[in-house]
Amino acid sequence: MSADIFALVSDWGPVLIFASAFLSCLAVPIPTSLMMLAGGAFVASDDLALWHVVVAALTGAILGDQTGYLIGRRGGAPLVTRIARSPKRRAALARARTLVDRWGGPGVFFSTWLFAPLGPWVNFIAGTTALSWRRFSIWDVLGETIWVSVYVTLGVVFASRIEAVADLLGNAVGLLVGLAVAGVMAVWIRGALRSQKAGG
Amino acid sequence: MTTLLRRIWRAAPVATVILGVAIAVSVFFAVRLVAFSIYWADPAHRDQAIEGWMTPGYVAHSWDVPREVTFGALDLPPRPGERVTLADLAQARGMSVEALAAELRAEIAAHRSKGDMP
Repeated sequence: MSADIFALVSDWGPVLIFASAFLSCLAVPIPTSLMMLAGGAFVASDDLALWHVVVAALTGAILGDQTGYLIGRRGGAPLVTRIARSPKRRAALARARTLVDRWGGPGVFFSTWLFAPLGPWVNFIAGTTALSWRRFSIWDVLGETIWVSVYVTLGVVFASRIEAVADLLGNAVGLLVGLAVAGVMAVWIRGALRSQKAGG
Repeated sequence: MTTLLRRIWRAAPVATVILGVAIAVSVFFAVRLVAFSIYWADPAHRDQAIEGWMTPGYVAHSWDVPREVTFGALDLPPRPGERVTLADLAQARGMSVEALAAELRAEIAAHRSKGDMP
């Protein structure tokens, strides 16, 4: 599978990297990390220019995140108010808002690179729960800069063993995301247990 | 254990299901990570076989020979920035990728043996 992705990148170059970064930030399941690795590898082999790859990935990712945030803000927020009519749901929503307000900035930051598969969902949630646009954007740009630099650099450095890096990194990120979701759920459940106890 | 499960299930059923799925996903990727680490640590898998997605420049980089060697083997001028994959080349010339790869391997071997001479 990764060979097909590499072939696409060598055929289409930065245009493809831009489009896939944009779409994958909107939860379209495209392996953009693989494409950035491949982009880095083709930089090492003199087939692509470094700044083309970096600018394409970075602008695609940031524009995609902004779009996801706006969708959450415009579409998600009214929907949530309609759903959260019952007191139980309202309590859950309030807990979610507190969580976002407390951890929203770092949450956005880490979801753009360390737990990249969670990124699009965090963008929607940030928009829906009205995390301030400035806070969202600052953490987001910082995070995406790390995401793009890490993957492109790994691609350049390990260009000659790109398939091995792709396999190892893909599974490592999968493991990290699984653990992160489990961690957030554990915190959530603890909060639910506490509020249950407090409520009697 | 079961009483704890029942308690958290009653407090937050959706979160409990997601927690279970997340743990299963973590185990799945951990196993794959170990399997791929063992596979790629094997020296027999270290050399990347020449494949259709590679460009002549990439083959040169991957096999650590000057670009002139791979471009020369394919009768191409070594210009940077113009990407063409071996699959495209093979199609344009009516050959198989494997035949192109064989030519490349022969030329790389010839270059390397030349380098070994004093």
